[in-house]
Amino acid sequence: MLESFQTLFTPPRHMILLVIATWLGLLLAERRTERHGISKEYLNDITFYGLATFIIGGRLSYVLQNMAAFSKSPLDIVSINPNLFDMPGALAAAFIVTLVHGQRKQLAFWSILDALTPFFAVIFIGLGLSHLAARTAFGLPTDQPWGIDMWNATRHPTQLYDALASSLILILLWFFKPNPRPGVHFLLFTILTTLSQLILQTFRANYVTIFSGFRQEQVLAWLILLVGFIVLEIRLNAVKTNTEIKKNTG
Amino acid sequence: MSERTTNQKKQILFYFQIHMNQTQRIILYTLILIAGASWIVLSTQNGEASSTGPAPQTGFLAPDFTLQTAKGETYTLSELKGQAVLVNVWATWCPPCEAEMPAIEKMYNEYKDQGFIVLGVNSTFQDNPLDIAPFTESHNLTFPILLDETSDVSRAYQVRSLPSSYFINRQGIISEVVIGGPMSETLLRTRIEEALK
Repeated sequence: MLESFQTLFTPPRHMILLVIATWLGLLLAERRTERHGISKEYLNDITFYGLATFIIGGRLSYVLQNMAAFSKSPLDIVSINPNLFDMPGALAAAFIVTLVHGQRKQLAFWSILDALTPFFAVIFIGLGLSHLAARTAFGLPTDQPWGIDMWNATRHPTQLYDALASSLILILLWFFKPNPRPGVHFLLFTILTTLSQLILQTFRANYVTIFSGFRQEQVLAWLILLVGFIVLEIRLNAVKTNTEIKKNTG
Repeated sequence: MSERTTNQKKQILFYFQIHMNQTQRIILYTLILIAGASWIVLSTQNGEASSTGPAPQTGFLAPDFTLQTAKGETYTLSELKGQAVLVNVWATWCPPCEAEMPAIEKMYNEYKDQGFIVLGVNSTFQDNPLDIAPFTESHNLTFPILLDETSDVSRAYQVRSLPSSYFINRQGIISEVVIGGPMSETLLRTRIEEALK
């Protein structure tokens, strides 16, 4: 079954899984968006602008980091090649555009993120499955019976662990009633996803070590977790303070 | 007023802050952060070698092979250690393979003096051998074109799509795998420079 899946979605066809995840994520987000005070039309708009900026920003960021190479073949700036792409740059560009667009439409930034949370969760599931198809982000060798054969060894199916963890987080947040405090829904998703990455990174084979053997990805996840808790607490207290003010003035 | 409060409580029933005050939450955050830090420390002991012999994947030793050109020249990958190598698996009937050949040839000429070599591995077992020479002549290819008549290299590199390109650094480790094509000059340039480091 795994072999058939990997044959069907062998690179570069594994990108199809991400396209399907984007579509499904948007469908799910649409169903709950009005709970967060965001209309379906606006959600579609912001997703369109976000995705467009993600693609353009990812390429531009890559170009800026490899100016010398592009100066010799400038037409490659517009070449259709997913390998000429910088993921952090793409995410930063999409984030900035979402923020600016939301502010121009006078919509609360946190509410937009809350509305997009199911979309993010499905993207993470799609990412895990696309890694499985491409046989990347693979795990350490293991003797566990659920290990999968990959790259000369029976390995932890870390791509499936990721997809499973993201599915559980999606289910958890989907069936819980939305919290009235804007941002809490998204922050809980961020905290749970980061926590799952901190745990699952232990089983991944390709990692970068820093500070005498610590895995860089885990240290980064721990720091995001710390920031996530601080921001969550600020959000909870900020809303509480507003409620108190209303009570005092009302 | 009390009815509204009850409704609000119902609405946020499942969230933990309704059951916890700020102090309790901060204790929970601290415990999670301590557990996370401990897990990171424990994970350092779980760092057994990820590379288990040669495999056609980034970070692994490139699977070795010996192939011949149509003229009978023999090339063994392991003998090229110390040079950056691009193993490009292709066929004459594959349009993206053909589309990327001019860029590969150009980069080969630009970087060969710095210790870069291209091994163009033709999937001869699934190609027409009579088409190979006209193909290489029409594109003025000067890098070695090796004939994979028995599919040994395709099997060792687990080739599923054409073209498939493997950038191998001077230590014989695969630094990048690009499945599909055509590769642009810039993509080739950035990956070759990485392999030459």
